[in-house]
Amino acid sequence: MDPEPTNNNTASGSGNPKDESTVKAPLSKDPKKKDDKKDEDLSEEDLALKQQLELYVERAQDADQGLQKVALESMRQEIRTSTSSMTSVPKPLKFLRPHYGTLKSYYETMPDSDLKKLLADILSVLALTMSAEGDRESLKYRLLGSEGDIGSWGHEYVRNLAGEIAQEYSKRVNEEATVDDLIELVEQIHNAEPEAVDLLMEVEFLDLLVKHVDKTNYKRTCLYLTSSARYLPGPDDVSVLDIAYTIYKQFEEFPSALQIALYLDNMQHVKEVFTSCPDLLRKKQFCYILARQGLSFELDEEMCADDEDREALQEIINNTKLSEGYLTLARDIEVMEPKSPEDIYKAHLLDGRASAGASVDSARQNLAATFVNAFVNAGFGQDKLMTVTSEASSGGSSNWLFKNKDHGKASAAASLGMIDLWDVDTGLAQLDKYFHSNDNHVIAGALLGVGIVNCGIKNDCDPALALLADYLDKEDSSIRIGAITGLGLAYAGTQNEQIRDKLTPILGDPKAPLDVIAFTAIALGLVYVGSCNEEVAQAIIFALMDRSESDLGEPLTRLLPLGLGLLYLGKQDSVEATAEVSKTFNEKIRKYCDMTLLSCAYAGTGNVLKVQHFLGQCAQHFEKGETFQGPAVLGIAMVAMAEELGLDMAIRSLEHLLQYGEQNIRKAVPLALGLLCISNPKVHVMDTLSRLSHDADTEVAMAAVISLGLIGAGTNNARIAGMLRNLSSYYYKEANLLFCVRIAQGFVHMGKGLLTLAPYHSERFLLSPTALGGLVVLLHACLDMKAIILGKYHYVLYFVVLAMQPRMLLTVDENLKPLSVPVRVGQAVDVVGQAGRPKTITGFQTHSTPVLLAAGDRAELATEKYLPLSPILEGFVILKENPDYREEA
Amino acid sequence: MPTVSVKWQKELYPGIEIDTTQPPYVFKCQLYDLTGVPPERQKIMVKGGILKDDSDWSKLGIKEGQKLMMVGTADEIVKAPEKGPVFMEDLPEEEQVVAVGHSAGLFNLGNTCYMNSTMQCLHSVPELKSALIEYPQFGRSNDLDQSSHLLTVATRDLFNELDKNVKPVAPMQFWMVLRKKYPQFGQLHNGSFMQQDAEECWTQILYTLSQALRSPSTSSNLDTVKELFGIDLVSRVHCAESGEESTEAETIYSLKCHISHEVNHLHEGLKHGLKSELEKASPSLGRSAVYLKDSRINGLPKYLTIQFVRFFWKRESNQKAKILRKVDYPLELDIFDLCSDDLRKKLETPRQMLRDEDGRKAGLKLKQKGSASVDSDVKMSDAEGPSNESGESSKATSEEGVASAKNVQLTGVYDLVAVLTHKGRSADSGHYVAWVKQENGKWIQFDDDNPIPQREEDITKLSGGGDWHMAYICMYKARTIPM
Repeated sequence: MDPEPTNNNTASGSGNPKDESTVKAPLSKDPKKKDDKKDEDLSEEDLALKQQLELYVERAQDADQGLQKVALESMRQEIRTSTSSMTSVPKPLKFLRPHYGTLKSYYETMPDSDLKKLLADILSVLALTMSAEGDRESLKYRLLGSEGDIGSWGHEYVRNLAGEIAQEYSKRVNEEATVDDLIELVEQIHNAEPEAVDLLMEVEFLDLLVKHVDKTNYKRTCLYLTSSARYLPGPDDVSVLDIAYTIYKQFEEFPSALQIALYLDNMQHVKEVFTSCPDLLRKKQFCYILARQGLSFELDEEMCADDEDREALQEIINNTKLSEGYLTLARDIEVMEPKSPEDIYKAHLLDGRASAGASVDSARQNLAATFVNAFVNAGFGQDKLMTVTSEASSGGSSNWLFKNKDHGKASAAASLGMIDLWDVDTGLAQLDKYFHSNDNHVIAGALLGVGIVNCGIKNDCDPALALLADYLDKEDSSIRIGAITGLGLAYAGTQNEQIRDKLTPILGDPKAPLDVIAFTAIALGLVYVGSCNEEVAQAIIFALMDRSESDLGEPLTRLLPLGLGLLYLGKQDSVEATAEVSKTFNEKIRKYCDMTLLSCAYAGTGNVLKVQHFLGQCAQHFEKGETFQGPAVLGIAMVAMAEELGLDMAIRSLEHLLQYGEQNIRKAVPLALGLLCISNPKVHVMDTLSRLSHDADTEVAMAAVISLGLIGAGTNNARIAGMLRNLSSYYYKEANLLFCVRIAQGFVHMGKGLLTLAPYHSERFLLSPTALGGLVVLLHACLDMKAIILGKYHYVLYFVVLAMQPRMLLTVDENLKPLSVPVRVGQAVDVVGQAGRPKTITGFQTHSTPVLLAAGDRAELATEKYLPLSPILEGFVILKENPDYREEA
Repeated sequence: MPTVSVKWQKELYPGIEIDTTQPPYVFKCQLYDLTGVPPERQKIMVKGGILKDDSDWSKLGIKEGQKLMMVGTADEIVKAPEKGPVFMEDLPEEEQVVAVGHSAGLFNLGNTCYMNSTMQCLHSVPELKSALIEYPQFGRSNDLDQSSHLLTVATRDLFNELDKNVKPVAPMQFWMVLRKKYPQFGQLHNGSFMQQDAEECWTQILYTLSQALRSPSTSSNLDTVKELFGIDLVSRVHCAESGEESTEAETIYSLKCHISHEVNHLHEGLKHGLKSELEKASPSLGRSAVYLKDSRINGLPKYLTIQFVRFFWKRESNQKAKILRKVDYPLELDIFDLCSDDLRKKLETPRQMLRDEDGRKAGLKLKQKGSASVDSDVKMSDAEGPSNESGESSKATSEEGVASAKNVQLTGVYDLVAVLTHKGRSADSGHYVAWVKQENGKWIQFDDDNPIPQREEDITKLSGGGDWHMAYICMYKARTIPM
């Protein structure tokens, strides 16, 4: 063999490896000298290896078949043993590179034999670093080769090969050529999960996965599948998730299978999970997962044969133990002591200014205090304003309820429902006495309170329906709204037909005032959230068409399209028929309706095209009076909130909107930011909102203040609390803004910091439709703050109750009694597609349960003594004793 | 006869038999026995709604062992209070003042901050206000000169204006009348009015008011101003040289806090102020001799005015110079040890009661204290009764004012209610500001037309020692105990 080109190639190889295979450099003396020098740089070991390999190459071209075989085998051996390193090109490959061309040309001359295949294998590997882009030589030689175990050549090789297969596949599909040989090859690739998944997705043979995953790699495979599903266009994403579901079920990883079933909103799958799992305890865990999603789900005998067991399971789904668990957490963290609004305002920390309290009650400020008190003490069953008075017999002037004016009393009475949240028995007992009041506002509040206290809880006796139904056709519209809204909150997401039968007639009632109709539409939208129910949709559409021209100009009318939109929440294409109908609406509402429907339908999908569509809508400039851009801005947030990447991009886009948008866009931007970072106070968003809270435009400032509350909701975030405190002194003379500041303060300290409003849960995988529905209603109401929140419909604020959930991890034993175990809580790390067994959390601290989880936190057990029945440690998690656990001496 | 269990609140009542031949009302009565909830307040959840008194059992499909839920309480039904609260939003614009929590500021009419701050401090005395309201617009008594009458009327009107407005008030009328009565305040310097000593203004106005409000035409024949602000002193005048000794009694309107090098605290300054040396003719020696005058307080006012003697006439600069020394003053002042023995005796019982009440507030058990002596036990039981109402009556005092004054006892303990501060180096220059505690307990700094809320702890920081505002006149309000 001629040594000259070899040396030359080595030299230029370091510079440009791709070209080198084809370059046959002319002989020259200069490079040779240089190469000699280079050779000297090599260590003795490397030099020996190099010479060895050169010898193999020479021998491989030997006429003697035996010698050839030995040479090729040894060459293969060298390559295989060295491919472990990922960071640099392995030495044998490096040294063999110069000979790639030589071997290639020799290969062509060889007769067909095992040896030729062996050489093809080696060439295939060498092509990994040598072949020019697009040549796919690696694949070519692979197909010509011995079809041995692909994985033995190492990750890098498989990865490269997979890429080439994908390219080849698309090429051949275009040319309508056969792909059988490729598929055969594909079947061999299964140890590198992400590559395999990518490849199979590319070649549309994902079903193969189910056959090939095994106990060791199914978790990684499914993890990759589920996270890539977010970036896939429909209907691929659904099929990908279906595969993941099948795999999880196959390996009896039922909780994860259930999560996917819930993600797909596929009740058939949910049922399957129950029927295929024999273990009662695990079923209980499923029930906890269902309860967190806020689904109403009826178990039947197939899913659980034993009546008593089924009742126990159903009880978990009905969320009846939520209050107990929440209070367990509260007691553990020692925050049971009720807090008054003054404890939240912390006026003593301000210099002077705001501390000058009024000597006369301000109805507006008392109302704010009512809300703050309700949010802060939510679910604790005790407070310093509403529940104390029932004990103090004096009543009279000391009764906080009557420190509220007119419709304020409704919110005050309803606040009892918030304070007793999830504790239906106590709540109803507390509210009972207000039913007998002679003040219509108080009765309305009590009705709404019944709805709030029942929110997310199901009870076989259906007390909410029984209590509220009688008030639906009362004369007084505030009572009616109270009952209607109460039903909407209590039965959100249940698709309860009784409710539909009771509420739809109101929509068609020609005598019903606009506000009653608007809240009926919202209530129905919530009860049938994401159901695409035709009948309800029809009813709302007719109600919209029946509105007079003047009604359509009213701020409350915007709730009608929203009610319609809620029906299609997250249901994407299913909205199209209705959206088409909406094009026939009066032009005053047409655009608004269109935006609302679209934003709801694509909420939580991360659909980039829709985000662009909304951005396009916002780019238009209009004369005053156009309102549809508000829902368009909210739409950006609703769609983009699905995953972190899109979320960050949306935040940036929104900042641009602030720069060039009109007032009706600017006032919606803070709200959109609030939704994107709900209960997740990101510092830069906080800063943006803080800046906007001093905006010259009051509506922008009010929206920013409310959103400051939303992003800090339930976090007790000290920085936001400080900002709001300063705002309360800055705006101490502006009653409306001060009201907003107070509400935001209530949000930040919601549940004394034990709650979250985030509709996403289970490691940000699942979206609770009712939670999102509640938030969207609130945000739409905030688009016209003056008419709704600052008007007489302030109780719209209570819609956040749908999104309120304890942000906790509560571990329970097999009897569902709280069990304290050490857990590590830290920032979650994205481990999708990572090799080996990477750490899932970083910067963790060890606590004992129950613990609070912040946004982006993940928990893992710090003991081997127990096994969790759910892979995701959030909410209620059942622990089973680990049978293999040995106490350390 | 199916047997059901009924869940009520958190309790479960198992095994209740339903007599389906009887109307549901009977069943409700059964439940009434168990829970005490009257039947008409019971809401029992059954299929399709709430159980009605006349429902037909057979149609409800009650099953054996079914769990029913009952809602209802025997709680008293909440009734709206007869007199609902008045909301700020309902008040007419001008009445919202009250709601703001403080009265209006006063415009500066050209170096009139001394007057503004004085009036703001005096305005905070409700008794003075009520006395002024009763002052007749016409028909002044003959022993009162016209200008005093006008000044009194102007004061009344100004106080009225302050109470009515949110926006600052321009005290034009008052300013005119004041200059008429006391021309020295109208001094001009370079064509504009000169800054004046607030203490002088304070004293003159009070003097005028005391003249005017003494007139028999007012409903109370007593001297209102004297009753409110007058401090009775009894002095022992003693001459060391001759051994002569005499007692004098007088009434002053303010205590002086003399500031010397030893004085760090108001209390020390007051002690200094009550001791003085004077030179007068001694009848026994037949020449003038040095007398020591040692005064004690013999009668306490409702409002104790204290002047920090910060200004002295500096001959070389020909102006009233200022002592910048820091003299601390408390929010709560006890002047018991400045009182005469007679007064001390009178004060003993009310003070004991005050202490008991404080102790009770602090959570101390009365009995522990009481067991020390049988005597105090008796006192204590006396104290029990009235002190329960003390909260209300102390509020009442401020409203009913002078009329109820006889029912309450002074204790010698005073709470700070107003501070008049001066900033600057001489009495005739610089800036005067009033810091007044409002009825709702909040402090407001009245810097002419700009009222600024302040924190209580910042009020005591006005004690001097720098170039910041420093207290010149302090007004304390008596803490009383009802008898």
